[in-house]
Amino acid sequence: MALVEACLAGRREAFDALVQRHQRHVYQLCYRFAGNHEDASDLAQDAFVRAYRGLNSFKGRSAFGTWLYRIAVNVCLNRAALRAPKLAALEFADHTDHRIERADTTLLRAERAVEVRAAIARLPKKQRATLILRVYHELPHEQIAEIVGSSVGAAKANFFHALANLRKLLRVRS
Amino acid sequence: MTHLGRTELVDYVEASPALSQDHRRHVETCETCRAEADVLRTVRALAQADHAPEPSPLFWDHFAARVSDAVRDEVPGTASQAGTRWFATWVAAATMAVVIMMTVVWRTPLHAPGPVAVAVPVVDATGTDPSAFLIPDDVEADEAWAVVRTAAQDLGWDDAHAEGLDARPGAAEGVALELTADERFELGRLIDEALKRNGV
Repeated sequence: MALVEACLAGRREAFDALVQRHQRHVYQLCYRFAGNHEDASDLAQDAFVRAYRGLNSFKGRSAFGTWLYRIAVNVCLNRAALRAPKLAALEFADHTDHRIERADTTLLRAERAVEVRAAIARLPKKQRATLILRVYHELPHEQIAEIVGSSVGAAKANFFHALANLRKLLRVRS
Repeated sequence: MTHLGRTELVDYVEASPALSQDHRRHVETCETCRAEADVLRTVRALAQADHAPEPSPLFWDHFAARVSDAVRDEVPGTASQAGTRWFATWVAAATMAVVIMMTVVWRTPLHAPGPVAVAVPVVDATGTDPSAFLIPDDVEADEAWAVVRTAAQDLGWDDAHAEGLDARPGAAEGVALELTADERFELGRLIDEALKRNGV
């Protein structure tokens, strides 16, 4: 809150500090919606610019991070182009140790990752946002409810439906 | 006991302490609920296995500089008032649209007997394209709605209420009922003209 007040008082370096503190999470969130680096960095920048413009509407009732997440989610969901995100194939493999993993296993994992991202991109907006915030950002349902503007029960129900729809899209059998 | 609901299943899959002992005991004896929970757990694990790539460490300095440049000429905290103005404009336009639609519905009884040449100050709707008030099948694809949504997305409800903006059931009908018979007649006439001009 002190940084926000300093920023509103005209100290630009305070906003730079807020950006430094939150940029990674905001970028990662945008990446999950966009599916590629270029769009993710554009969306993240847009989220920060909107946050800057709207700083005086931040009243400190929730954590600044929650407020910022909310803006970022809105920016991502409102970007029409994101209805068909350009998924960057095989990028996920950066986390894999290629020295010990066979090439065919790597390929299968990459294919599966692309399928999963494509399926998530087809989920209804609130379900997609809820799933991304829960699975990839590990936010509690209470915080997700604040971000997407719903009750905790609705956030959990959204998460359930997101998983159920993902199951159908990925054809996971019981 | 009945099977677990959606929220209880999520609580069970996530081993949440929010799940009651009764529900926990039920799952232990219910194959249906256990199978459902297993599938949800599998799907969740599939999603979780996909790691997003980490950008180069150099990217973050570059990104912070980009944001800093982007807000260089901005004044912090200016969006709320602008958003409120946009929101107010939209509420006014939406109310007007509802009034016009309701007047169209009412215009038949209003035509007879009509008053003779009454000069009544009326909002100029002659240039309005009636199709602008149609709700598209896919509202999310509607550009006008996208403008409203973008303008309103940073607007907090508290700020909106502080500005006196809220949606009350029947508000639009209330506005319409405040029109005099002459005003309604004139509005109906203008709408008729606009509809004929557009070949509706």
